[in-house]
Amino acid sequence: MVGRRLWRNLDYPFIGSIIAILALSLVVLNSAAAGISADPDYYVKRQFLWIILGFGAMLAAIKVDYQVLRRYHLPIYLFNLALLVAVLLVGNEAKGAQRWIALGSFIFQPSEFAKISVIITLSRLLEARQGRLNNLKDLVMPFLHIALPMLLILVQPDLGTALVLMAILLGMLYLAGANTALLAKLIITGGVLVSFALFAHFHYGLPLPLKEYQLQRLVVFLNPYNDGEGGLGAGYHIIQSQIAIGSGGIWGKGLHQGSQVHLNFLPEHHTDFIFSVVGEELGFIRTLGVLGLYFILLYRTLHIAGRAKDMFGALLAGGVASLFAFHLLVNIGMTIGIMPVTGIPLPLFSYGGSAMLSNLLSLGLVLNVNLRRQKIPF
Amino acid sequence: MQVNIIIRKRLLVVFFLLSLGLLIVAFRLVWLQFVRGDELRQMALENRLNEVPVMPQRGIIYDRNRRELAISIATDYIGAFPPEVKRSGREKEIAAQLAAILNLPEDKVLEKITRNTGFEFVARKVEFQQAQKIKDLKLPGIEVVPENRRYYPNGPLAAHVLGFAGSDNQGLEGLEVMYEKELRGVPGKIVMEFDAIGHEIPQAVHRYIPPQNGYSLVLTLDENIQFIAERELDNIAASPTKPRKASILIMDPNTGEILAMASRPAFDPNKYDVYPPEIWGNPLVRDTYEPGSTFKIITTAAALEEGVVRPEERFYCPGYIKVAGEMLRCWTFPLGHGSETFAEGVKNSCNPVFITLALRLEEKKPGLFYDYIEAFGFGRPTGIDLTGEATGLMISRQELKPINIATIGMGQGIAVTPIQLATAAAAIANGGKLIRPHLVKEVLDAEGEVVRRYEPEVVRRVISPATARKVAELLEGVVAEGTGRNAYIPGYRVGGKTGTAQKPGPGGYQPGKYVASFLGFAPVNNPRLLGLVVIDEPQGYPYYGGTVAAPIFQKVMADALRYLEVPPQYDAKKEENKVPVTVPNVVGKSLDEAREELQKLGLVARPEGEGTVVVAQTPKAGAIVPPGTKVILYLQGNNSRPLVPDITGLRLPEAAEVLEAYGLRLVPQGTGKAAEQQPVPGTRVSPGAQVKVIFQEPAREAMGP
Repeated sequence: MVGRRLWRNLDYPFIGSIIAILALSLVVLNSAAAGISADPDYYVKRQFLWIILGFGAMLAAIKVDYQVLRRYHLPIYLFNLALLVAVLLVGNEAKGAQRWIALGSFIFQPSEFAKISVIITLSRLLEARQGRLNNLKDLVMPFLHIALPMLLILVQPDLGTALVLMAILLGMLYLAGANTALLAKLIITGGVLVSFALFAHFHYGLPLPLKEYQLQRLVVFLNPYNDGEGGLGAGYHIIQSQIAIGSGGIWGKGLHQGSQVHLNFLPEHHTDFIFSVVGEELGFIRTLGVLGLYFILLYRTLHIAGRAKDMFGALLAGGVASLFAFHLLVNIGMTIGIMPVTGIPLPLFSYGGSAMLSNLLSLGLVLNVNLRRQKIPF
Repeated sequence: MQVNIIIRKRLLVVFFLLSLGLLIVAFRLVWLQFVRGDELRQMALENRLNEVPVMPQRGIIYDRNRRELAISIATDYIGAFPPEVKRSGREKEIAAQLAAILNLPEDKVLEKITRNTGFEFVARKVEFQQAQKIKDLKLPGIEVVPENRRYYPNGPLAAHVLGFAGSDNQGLEGLEVMYEKELRGVPGKIVMEFDAIGHEIPQAVHRYIPPQNGYSLVLTLDENIQFIAERELDNIAASPTKPRKASILIMDPNTGEILAMASRPAFDPNKYDVYPPEIWGNPLVRDTYEPGSTFKIITTAAALEEGVVRPEERFYCPGYIKVAGEMLRCWTFPLGHGSETFAEGVKNSCNPVFITLALRLEEKKPGLFYDYIEAFGFGRPTGIDLTGEATGLMISRQELKPINIATIGMGQGIAVTPIQLATAAAAIANGGKLIRPHLVKEVLDAEGEVVRRYEPEVVRRVISPATARKVAELLEGVVAEGTGRNAYIPGYRVGGKTGTAQKPGPGGYQPGKYVASFLGFAPVNNPRLLGLVVIDEPQGYPYYGGTVAAPIFQKVMADALRYLEVPPQYDAKKEENKVPVTVPNVVGKSLDEAREELQKLGLVARPEGEGTVVVAQTPKAGAIVPPGTKVILYLQGNNSRPLVPDITGLRLPEAAEVLEAYGLRLVPQGTGKAAEQQPVPGTRVSPGAQVKVIFQEPAREAMGP
């Protein structure tokens, strides 16, 4: 149970920024999704429901001391793997990928929970290995730890979520005290290898174990008009998104007024490209405001991590921070044309039930760490 | 705890990295929303606006009498909005229906109407029935929009002047391209707001911007004279002469207005694409050739203006002339023209005479002859309003040798365009002014109001009016008695010059290949028309300008002068100089007496019939006639067996009188002058016999071919 004393530790800017972001997301979604279904409020209502459920999950996440999770790390890891295998076997296919499991009328996306599962189990792993993350051999185990779920997600295929797992791993390794030079080398080597592989693929036909459209999306942001269809192929989303944001100007076109959104030039404008709607309809100033809210949220998350009672808690909050930061920068970067298109939604903003649930659940973990920061006096 | 210190430090680093990331995002936002803001706003606007072009009507081209030479007729085009077509989900069916009506391959239509664009042309300039059928089908995403098609009602008439407009109504040749800006007009459009999948948005932007129709042109061409010229070209093209090319240019030498401009082989601008592109160009402005003897006009003008020759001055032509050690032949070689005055030399087109003149000019002042050639407009385009005008070829002054000057004097060693030559000759016909030739008189706006008028443009004065007059008179001699006799038009004073130039080829002149030409104007004392006929490679013999080109000039000019109602002229000069005389009565006198009496008065006796006594005369006594007039003397022969006299050309009272004197009876028919008679003259008949005479007004056509 959460005692009264614990609530005194509540980080108000943290919880405040979450509520503000969610409120704004409903306002923007109300505009963005107005023309998609017959009932203009359909998506807002559903999203609101998910938020309520999410807050429920959040409350559940703070109820029990996070220390308990340490004990159940193995079942959590195995359960995650089981879900990911299940989605491959019985999952529903949509847009060329198997990502969902339907439980009655309830649609569930296991890869969303894979993120939380990885954060929890990795926290436990890295806590146990702190101070022993100094050479390549030391890093083999953490990498193997995420390799299995990552592979299962990659074959769905869901490149974006797989990359999120990698980002979580790197972020948490760094926080756990891994050798900085070693990590930097790894990141640089990985980056160079990936760039080289992509270059070789597009110029010399090097076969890569990814679908052609995924590869296209990874590089098309460099020159969206050079997509083989004059900006109407893989580059179309990025071009339209930048037109939407750029045409917003300082104060935006106003809610329900964005021509890019409402005339459907901008696809996926209620999910992955919701930030473009913010840019087009709300304008530069308010967009900066939205960025500010995320900044507060992340700043407070890092703050909570720093004041955590123990390493496990710090890594939990740090992992969630890595997850959110990666989502935020990659998603927004995609909409403004400086990041590849990977299909990563904007957390707390994009429409999507599983994501909302898992995001709020993960923030619940952070809150759990926050509330239980003080050592219990004897 | 040490670990906590590390993690706090590292959290701070993560915080800074995150801040950096967000800062980059913010800068990118500034870039997109402010630096590229206007551009992206424009793109957003273009995204949602779909434009259907509405074609303007291309301006009409009229001849000088506002007869239509090129018009635009209404047709339709079929346009498609691919997004709308795709949305309907019936693209295959739509493609099949369109393909069937338009006779197009189905797969091509399908490809077009499903393209990744906002708008596509499916078919242009569709027949009315086809367009109506498509309109009736009311296919989603398919629009039938009016547009125009160029049509040349006279087919090939003046094709080389008009040129033609292409499938997009854009001028491609001739005046159509030269006056593209005026003729084209400004396209209008229908702007519709569309969403990404092609729904037309009701109550959204929906504007009609009407097209501005093109301006019309009024040409200097006269459809009738153009027709006359083309008729003669068709005749020669069909004759055994069968030249490779033939061209006629008729111009008003006073204004530079071109009245006719025609060439063979020609093409029909309505289907220009079935003709080889080589014949699309106008040879009169694009081709250059060695003008040969027609160029002697320029030599003559320069020499007279500079006073290096007088018309009466005597020359001697042995059949050749030596210049700088080289022997240049006269065209009569090995014969020569012998002793001749300059005027006779012009009539004879005697080469040594003109070579001498050219050399005299050069002697007077080096470069003087070239100065005149350039002053007459050679070596640079005339500035006629047609595309692709050539400049001609002239040996550069630095490389010019005396032998070149000598040959240029007779029209060899210089290449000119027909329009240059005609323009230079016009300067002589109009009293010495070089005029810019032009084809467009007026530009009219869509309401028919004149928005621009092209006035005659004098480039410069080249020679004095007095010199011009002298040259014209010399040229009149060429037509009256010289090499240009075949260009003589009864009743008009015609001046002109023949030209027969061998065609140069690789390694010298090509045997058997000539350019025969004739350049002339009429009437000499007040030139109304100037004509140039160029026959390129006439087949067979004769190939001379005087035999091949001059007759064509004669026919075209005769018809054109009559069409323009230029009054036929009498010999005004002789009337001025010589006192008219009264015809005396010589009836009853002997032939010898009568002849003597007439001769004293300067009249010419022309006896008719046999015998010695004059029984009738025409003109009758008392008539006032110019000296030199022929007086027909009808002679009394054997009264019991009279010879029927020739009364052709007499009017009824005179004819009656003459026949009465012979004791014959006139049976007249018709009015006018006697044209035919029965029995024919010289028939011996019984006294009192009837002579049937058909009188006719002289037909105008009698002057024709």
